[in-house]
Amino acid sequence: MNNPYVLIILISTLCGLSAGFIMHRANFCVAGMFRDLFLFRDGFMLRMLLVIIVGSMLVFETGLQLGLLSYYPFPLLGAPSLANIVGGFVFGIGMVLAGGCVVGTLYKMGAGSVLSVVAFIAMLAGSALYAEFHPWWSTIAKAGVLVEEAITLPQWLQLPSISLTLPLALLGIAYLWKTYQRGKLHHNHLLPGSIQPLHAALGLIVIGFVSYLFVGMPLGITTSYAKLGATVEAAISPGYVASQGYFQATPLHYTPPFSETAISGGAGPQLDAVAAIQYPLIIGITLGATLSALLLKALRFHYRLPVRQYLSALLGGLMLGFSARMVPGCNIWHLWGGIPILAMQSLLFLLGMLMGTWLGGKLLTRWVIRV
Amino acid sequence: MEQKKNIITMDIRGQICPSCLLLALKEVNSNIDAIRAHQCELAILSDDRHAMITIPESISKMGLSSKVESKDHGFEIRIFKDI
Repeated sequence: MNNPYVLIILISTLCGLSAGFIMHRANFCVAGMFRDLFLFRDGFMLRMLLVIIVGSMLVFETGLQLGLLSYYPFPLLGAPSLANIVGGFVFGIGMVLAGGCVVGTLYKMGAGSVLSVVAFIAMLAGSALYAEFHPWWSTIAKAGVLVEEAITLPQWLQLPSISLTLPLALLGIAYLWKTYQRGKLHHNHLLPGSIQPLHAALGLIVIGFVSYLFVGMPLGITTSYAKLGATVEAAISPGYVASQGYFQATPLHYTPPFSETAISGGAGPQLDAVAAIQYPLIIGITLGATLSALLLKALRFHYRLPVRQYLSALLGGLMLGFSARMVPGCNIWHLWGGIPILAMQSLLFLLGMLMGTWLGGKLLTRWVIRV
Repeated sequence: MEQKKNIITMDIRGQICPSCLLLALKEVNSNIDAIRAHQCELAILSDDRHAMITIPESISKMGLSSKVESKDHGFEIRIFKDI
């Protein structure tokens, strides 16, 4: 294909629209997966995450074995660093305070949540603010690198990926089958028009694989949060944006599947490969949820909410945006993309995020909701 | 003669998870004795679809019953003790 952007924009738009629609109908809150375990001892949505990880592990590995994947591991993943844990920790706190992760905020915003609009704007600000601290943080992240020469666990252990992913996936399937038989993979109370989260999880596996197959990488959106923030900043102070090294860098440089032309992109305000991949996802997820809410006649806006909740969304959004650049990457990038291929960065991110979510839950019930 | 029940209404429209469940549980716990004695019911107004799943599931674990009704503004969840 002569113009690689056509396929990328088309696939990303379709992936975004379908993901937004499905997530809204299934209330597929990724932040809630961890938060509800700590707050309510409810592991239901965590089992849905396991479905996605195990399913993606199998599908990605099959794609690799059949020679369908252009990149394995996929672009933008880096060496594991202790910085991934710290970033994940801040991310975990942020997503609890914001009331949703980077994707959850989009679908809730699309369905009319005013708090999510506040969190979204704060995420853009937090992502853009990171540019100021990037030189300092990247030095720390480099110093904290644990393994220089490997991105995934199989690479580090010098094993074929299938020798780890297949046994792990089979273990996961055995556990999920047991929980399925006990009826613990289904909600008993569903509203008309809702989708069982299990079906949503299966749909999201397919969406992630389609993105990997045609775009060259699974779903990820947070570099574009920084890009959007930089675009706003550039409109106010173009000189400042031009002076920030973080906005000038183009860490993404690859040749997309079904294309012979290499493309590149970064967090700067220019329209590039990152914009082509991630802007359609952001718009798609938001509009997919709006469409779902409109069809259900459930699009409503309420702004008379406690000030504490607005402040929490604001602070949480800032932390989410900032930490997604510290890691780098967001939860769906690492949990739905990195962990299924056993990327060490993603495993460290998960460790940090678990601790952060626990603390976020404590802060939420102590200072925001006050139960 | 049947005693008239007190209906306590809580409006949490616009709020999202986990606030809805936390606030609902807080209100239930504050009135648990009266609900169990059939002296009062809670009526929670919400437009968060997720809360329509999480609140009834948590309420049933507490031995209470709930009924979700679709309204113009969203939903109303009635929380009560079955006779």
